[in-house]
Amino acid sequence: MKDDRFAMVLRGLAKSFDGKVAVGGVDLDVPAGSFYGLLGPNGAGKTTTLSMAVGLLRPDHGQAWVLGHDIWADPIQAKRLFGVLPDGVRLFDRLSGAELLAYHGLLRGMDPTVVDQRAAELLDVLALADAGQTLVVDYSAGMKKKIGLACALLHAPRLLVLDEPFEAVDPVAAALIRDILQRYVAGGGTVIFSSHVMEVVERLCSHVAILAGGVIRRVGTLAEVRGERSLEDVFVEVVGGRTATGEELAWL
Amino acid sequence: MAVTASVTAPRPVSPRHFVRLKLRILGNGFRGQTAKVLLFVAGVLAGLFYAVAGFFGSALPGLAGSTDAAVLVAALGGGVLALSWTLLPLVFFGVDESVDPSRFALLPVSRRTLVTGLLAAALIGVPAAATLIATAGLVLCAGLLGGAAAALVQAVGVLLGLLFCVAVSRAVTSAFATLLRSRRTRDLAAVLLAVAAALIGPLQIALNRASADTDWRRFLPLAEIVGWTPFGAPYTAGVEVADGRYWAAPVKLLISAATIVVLLWWWSRTLESAMIGTASTGKAAKRTAPGAPVALLFPKVLSWARRDQFGAVLAREVRYWWRDARRRANLITFAVAALFVSAMVNFGDAIWGTEPTSEVSASPTTFALSMIFVGTLGAVTLANQFGFDGTAYAADVVAGVRGRVEIGARAGAFAVYVLPLVLVIGVLVGFLIGEPGWIPMAVGTLVATFGCGLAANSMLSVVGAYALPETSNPFALNTGAGMVRGLLSVVAMLVSVALAIPMLLGALFAGDVWLWLALPIGLVYGVGAAWLGSVIVGDVLDRRMPELLLTITPRR
Repeated sequence: MKDDRFAMVLRGLAKSFDGKVAVGGVDLDVPAGSFYGLLGPNGAGKTTTLSMAVGLLRPDHGQAWVLGHDIWADPIQAKRLFGVLPDGVRLFDRLSGAELLAYHGLLRGMDPTVVDQRAAELLDVLALADAGQTLVVDYSAGMKKKIGLACALLHAPRLLVLDEPFEAVDPVAAALIRDILQRYVAGGGTVIFSSHVMEVVERLCSHVAILAGGVIRRVGTLAEVRGERSLEDVFVEVVGGRTATGEELAWL
Repeated sequence: MAVTASVTAPRPVSPRHFVRLKLRILGNGFRGQTAKVLLFVAGVLAGLFYAVAGFFGSALPGLAGSTDAAVLVAALGGGVLALSWTLLPLVFFGVDESVDPSRFALLPVSRRTLVTGLLAAALIGVPAAATLIATAGLVLCAGLLGGAAAALVQAVGVLLGLLFCVAVSRAVTSAFATLLRSRRTRDLAAVLLAVAAALIGPLQIALNRASADTDWRRFLPLAEIVGWTPFGAPYTAGVEVADGRYWAAPVKLLISAATIVVLLWWWSRTLESAMIGTASTGKAAKRTAPGAPVALLFPKVLSWARRDQFGAVLAREVRYWWRDARRRANLITFAVAALFVSAMVNFGDAIWGTEPTSEVSASPTTFALSMIFVGTLGAVTLANQFGFDGTAYAADVVAGVRGRVEIGARAGAFAVYVLPLVLVIGVLVGFLIGEPGWIPMAVGTLVATFGCGLAANSMLSVVGAYALPETSNPFALNTGAGMVRGLLSVVAMLVSVALAIPMLLGALFAGDVWLWLALPIGLVYGVGAAWLGSVIVGDVLDRRMPELLLTITPRR
């Protein structure tokens, strides 16, 4: 599927674990240059979908193309082109921040001098330079997210796939990450990220998809999905969450 | 909503809850996992075999009506059993931590409840059951020798002995885990671990000699002494009654009970620090970052390495073998075991035997055999190399590291530590047995078997990987994983030895020429095997990367 208009194309991605359907056939077209939000409640299949899209988890059915390359037929080529920030996955955390960046840079086949220069700059911008030789395992949760993002950005990919990039991040770091990502998109990059924080998605995204129960329920530009209402209202309606009647939990 | 003040007293938490939790975790672990069930059944059968053998062994003196033999079997057999519970989890098997203590950190459970509960949960398992059955033979023995009263006392003793075994294994591993977590004390822990591992060897030799010795009464004084230590006390109480020394039985039971209390107290202390987690790891490392990131990644020994994908994996692995407590514990264990085995095989007689030193005859064949063993053992640590990484391996998957690069670099990094070590052992042993001329043969054999071992274990690490729990205890294993670990090690060693058979044939049949031919042949053979292994395994890995990642991801 060679189509320059899309940075990522998913067709019928499906995955079951022990007979339980986690993702039941996801189609998604992520336009190049878009800031794409993948919204969904906990357990909706966001991580499973993104893992299948980037080659971390083999799908039962379906295909995924990243910037024109089939991720499962031509993984080496495809993996060069994007950066990933996985969630719920450990980093090689017995390395210091600088060592971790150097490792990722060399894994990506970058020139050592370029790695050094960019790593130093990223550590500086993300306010991680002070951590020095502290091992990543001793970083705070927010710092771990930041160093993970730095690893994903290091080789200047054309597509960023971020799983819950704002989870466990304090407001200052979140603002910094937002700023970096907005500049990245303005420079022609594409971002797809998963989240369940409506404010962030509304503020950043040009496109939105709502995933629930392993299927896409709503998809389109932010304006199309939201309509006249707030994104939160649409989300709760689509997901079908219950609202409190005031009767329950009276003992609290 | 109003906060009503009807706070009723909470229902007490009893050890029963922990036991049920353990059984439930065990049961859920089996759901839809036929292989796991089969392994568990195999473990139960193996445990049953040892249990029944132990039962009859310990009942035998009673049937023969010999009190002296009963003292010997109870004190030395029981003592060795208890000592094995102390040392083996540290060195080889780890402990089943499926009921992870740190999960209770936020629950309002008192320390005392927690420790007794965890102890009760720890009693559920094949090793504990096998120990109980095996030592129950002592009850029969005491009953036959001294009647119902002796049997009753011995029954209490056997139960106390089981409690001691389980408590000591938990207390010791927990204490070591605490030591290994802290940056300041982890080197001390490494040394202590080495000493612990080294203790197993002499013990085994002493036992072998004792069993070969026809005049077993010579060991009675030793048995008497062991019978008064916490290791042997619970098992000898019944025999004391049978022997008419009624005062000794309660004293021995008291020694036993008091030790258990002390062990539980010690365990609860280290548990607390485990529950608080890695927060108290001592001072943070030096905060200055000298030099550029790439230069920082590469340790000094790798200054020659190319700064590319291969070099990056190599450097990261070299760092990890030292910085990851779990990997370090494995390295240290190997170092001690290898030194010990080669010493034992080659001049064990001189140290432990009754023959004078001059009569010790080393032979090239035993020397070569011990080197084959050391080389094979060296690579076994790699059998679950991806399991050590856990989900962190995702970074390599996302970056699309080619399988051949991944496998080759990992084997290379491991060799950076182990190859010099085995070579030193080979040279050292060669000099010690007074045959420096055999050293080239030893080196050739070591390199060849180590290379074959790398190939075999790399393959196993891809197709036979299993998840390790994400706790801070380097000795922790998931339920059933101990069996997997043991089985994989055996398979890996058998395959490695099979691959290295040409070296064995050379040592057996080529005669004196082999003393010189072995070096060039061994070098080519070992390096070739390792290279070929990385190519074959690398291609397998290329097809299995996501599946491998899934198998080493701990289920939460």
